[in-house]
Amino acid sequence: MAFEKILTRYTNIPNYTGTIDEYIAHGGYQALPKALRELQPADLIETVKRSGLRGRGGAGFPCGVKWGFIPKDSPKAKYLVCNCDESEPGTFKDRMLIEEEPHQLIEGLIISSYAIGCRLAFIYCRGEFVYGAQVLERALREAYGRGFLGRNILGSGFDLDVHVHRGAGAYICGEETGLLESLEGKRGQPRMKPPFPAISGLYRSPTVVNNVETLSNIPHIVLRGAEWFASIGPPKSAGPRLFSVSGHVERPGNYELPMSITLRELIFDHAGGIPNGRRLKAVIPGGSSAPVLTEQHLDVPMDFESLAAAGSMGGSGGVIVMNDTVCMVRVGEIVSRFYHHESCGQCTQCREGTAWLHKVLRRIEHGQGRKEDLDVLLDMCDNMKGKTICVLSDAAAMPIESYLKHFREEFEIHIRGRACPFEGKGAF
Amino acid sequence: MPTLKIDGVEVTVPAQTTIIEAAERVGIEIPRYCYHPGLSVVGQCRMCQVEVERMPKLAIACNTPVADGMVVSTRSPKVEKARRAVLEFYLLNHPLDCPICDKGGECPLQDYTLTYGPGESRSVEEKIQRVKHKVLGPHIVFDAERCILCTRCVRFCHEMPKTGELGVFSRGDQSEINLFPGKVLDNAYSGNVIDLCPVGALTSRQYRFQSRPWDLVRHTESVCPLCSNGCNVVLDVRHRQRGEELLRIRPRENQAVNRWWMCDEGRFTFTSLHDPARLRVPTWCENGRRAEMGYDDLLLRAARAIRRVVEAHGPEAVGCIASSRQTNEELFLVRRFFREFLGTPHLDFRVRSVQFQASDASEDGILRRTDKTANTRGARDLDIRPGPGGLDVAGMIAAASEGRMKALFVFEEDLVRAFPDRPLRQALGRLDLLVASSMFSTETTALAHAVLPALGFAEKEGSFTNFQGRVQKIHRALTPHVASQSLPEALRDLAVDLGRDLGGIEPEQVWAAIGERPGAYQGIAWKDIGDLGLLPEES
Ligand SMILES: Cc1cc2nc3c(=O)[nH]c(=O)nc-3n(C[C@H](O)[C@H](O)[C@H](O)COP(=O)(O)O)c2cc1C
Ligand code: SF4
Ligand code: SF4
Ligand code: SF4
Repeated sequence: MAFEKILTRYTNIPNYTGTIDEYIAHGGYQALPKALRELQPADLIETVKRSGLRGRGGAGFPCGVKWGFIPKDSPKAKYLVCNCDESEPGTFKDRMLIEEEPHQLIEGLIISSYAIGCRLAFIYCRGEFVYGAQVLERALREAYGRGFLGRNILGSGFDLDVHVHRGAGAYICGEETGLLESLEGKRGQPRMKPPFPAISGLYRSPTVVNNVETLSNIPHIVLRGAEWFASIGPPKSAGPRLFSVSGHVERPGNYELPMSITLRELIFDHAGGIPNGRRLKAVIPGGSSAPVLTEQHLDVPMDFESLAAAGSMGGSGGVIVMNDTVCMVRVGEIVSRFYHHESCGQCTQCREGTAWLHKVLRRIEHGQGRKEDLDVLLDMCDNMKGKTICVLSDAAAMPIESYLKHFREEFEIHIRGRACPFEGKGAF
Repeated sequence: MPTLKIDGVEVTVPAQTTIIEAAERVGIEIPRYCYHPGLSVVGQCRMCQVEVERMPKLAIACNTPVADGMVVSTRSPKVEKARRAVLEFYLLNHPLDCPICDKGGECPLQDYTLTYGPGESRSVEEKIQRVKHKVLGPHIVFDAERCILCTRCVRFCHEMPKTGELGVFSRGDQSEINLFPGKVLDNAYSGNVIDLCPVGALTSRQYRFQSRPWDLVRHTESVCPLCSNGCNVVLDVRHRQRGEELLRIRPRENQAVNRWWMCDEGRFTFTSLHDPARLRVPTWCENGRRAEMGYDDLLLRAARAIRRVVEAHGPEAVGCIASSRQTNEELFLVRRFFREFLGTPHLDFRVRSVQFQASDASEDGILRRTDKTANTRGARDLDIRPGPGGLDVAGMIAAASEGRMKALFVFEEDLVRAFPDRPLRQALGRLDLLVASSMFSTETTALAHAVLPALGFAEKEGSFTNFQGRVQKIHRALTPHVASQSLPEALRDLAVDLGRDLGGIEPEQVWAAIGERPGAYQGIAWKDIGDLGLLPEES
């Protein structure tokens, strides 16, 4: 059964460049008038709740429920912030959505702002996305030109302005409260929760933070209905999802699929399997923060619940495939290097723990491991999890725990042999 | 009000109280680094984690409000493991130079590590090396290796003096406290970061390497004498073979006065107490020749001179200028001596323009006040002012220059400096008797017949009344020089020489007399004045 692409429908259109005319010619900006003229904000929130749309940024939180947390009677301004910081290693789908189909996001952003009563919205763009930010700026100008933004949008009385803000290159500014601090011009470090952004977010006002892909789904839900959306994929993980597949596959890239797809289908049918007749060794299914899975998990469907049951998570949808030439200790070294570099440093366990993890793993990879290191690593992971202001600390610890769980033997060989058995070819 | 259980102890507190505050009420100290009751809550150090029944994760006690029926454990195995882990993480890069660290012996990192920490490190990684002594400002040196990034210093500068000199730079384990470009840690309250810093990362340039905490044998509670705010302080005194030395002044918490803080001037300006130039021995000057003289002889001569003046010109020829630097007890005895015994109406203390206003003012909206003496309010409350027909300070000076005033006492004030535009030298030069007390030689003492060495606030026992009217005790931290007497002792002996009995001069005895009189302090006894002072209208 061929799946009907929704978010990436435009890829079937020859010479499509994502201008406003092209977007409109192919059915774009039809949801907006429908939402503004036919639906009350409360109806929209209800519709999104019923659709079952869950956040695509990492946590999979039900989108409509989050919108519902915005207090209706607050005298404060309400803000919508689109999280386009996409920095999770192995994830590159938001970048594609903003570069190739920016108006889908903007239309979703306008409808969502209307739903929560926001009149000033922000798109927080990863600093490195220079081109993507330019595309968004251009698209916003186009939308203003057509009266989709600004005062009295389409005669509805609804006003909205949108700003693109580029970050300065910190992974932690993708965490929603770190993002808000950064957007306010402060040091990008997460806030304590509660209060959650819905109550006290940007400038201490009620704020919704949604991922690019999450918001890009909104026009389709409005146009085609919550029931249609809910019928795609498994009931608790409704709608299409973009999977960024990278690593040892024939055809790396973004694949839009329902979440009922299994790892095996994704890797072997869609991404073309492992090149050079190599065997699959390990796969990270949801960005570098997700625990690793192995061959035994190939028939797990890629929905939030099934991946959690398999000991991993849907995360950001970044699927990193590794063949049997990959050294898992080296993977651990590289992944922990990333979190070591990206910890904001507020919390003791994360600031010190990410660095310690990295140093120990680097030592083991370079043949200086000690046999007590593995238990120390596991205990360190336990000490880092569930105890900090944000979950970066957990995100640093969980993968390492999983590498040790599935590949402990490999770590022991490094320690016993005082060297990496993959030397020279262990890189990925 | 919610009632909860902490380690099995029941406590009822107002809603919105946090667990860490509730625990404090029942004497349970939850270890903490970044939390400080005087600063905003950031929840960063993760040291105060506790286990709350029915919460899946450990909660940080500093930011978790209490709820009715809550059951909290501050020492469950889960809590103990998490706490041990935080300490282990802290020590990964800590230089462990406790033996040469000022904080060693009074360091929360040492203390909590001993109580809750791991006995040994499991780390074999190399420690990060950082800057060991960076001068941040006139009073503070920074050691980045010892810093545990609690950000108390950063928050203090942002929130109290609101000068914001400090920030956290870089991120992760590269994070470091530093000055913003072009800034110097030079605000009127910078010294407070020394107390706030839970490790030896921010140390006092004045106190650095002067002592180990355990050599500071006395911690005397007192009050800062340098302005009318009367910040509560502790005087840390080291005992040395060659005599004791005051090495450090720290603020003492008093929510009604100075909260947890004090200003730099109050904290660092005490070295004059140990200045070798201090006057230690009384001197007498006759025919232009000044000589040291024992108290007995000197007071006898003074008494004779007073008697001569009073016999020849009446008590109106005697005047006294007291000082708002003096304690309430000294002032009371001064008043009794001059107004009651000698019977002169000429008594005053106001030598500063701010003392002619109804009250002084806040200098900065924080602690510092414009009256730079401790006891103006006490002097007012005790009526150190001219009696009927009496002269104020300017009047006494005028009377002296006109030859109507024959004997004048000036306590702890340099009149010549205080009134630069008046002919003080000429006026004082005409007196038959000028008695001056002072810690140092001044232009006024140079003109005096009798000079009595004055004691510093750290050498006195007594009380000051701050601008609010709060009576606060000072205690003797330093033994006065053997050759110096206190003013009450000298006044008592002078009274004896004049055939009068001043009564008991110990503060407790003086207060028995003060409390008997109508006035602001009626009914108050020395023992009523607690560690945090006493506001008469509240008692
Ligand atoms: C360390 C960290 C990094 C994150 N980075 C991103 C990111 O780059 N993009 C994103 O959309 N969400 C990111 N998130 C998740 C956000 O905090 C937030 O949950 C999300 O933006 C909410 O949007 P959604 O509900 O539409 O998924 C990150 C979370 C953490 C803890
Ligand atoms: S867990 Fe790490 S990244 Fe998150 S707030 Fe704490 S120190 Fe910063
Ligand atoms: S210098 Fe001291 S007070 Fe400042 S952050 Fe470091 S440890 Fe905390
Ligand atoms: S504010 Fe006044 S009383 Fe307080 S420390 Fe400073 S000088 Fe002393």
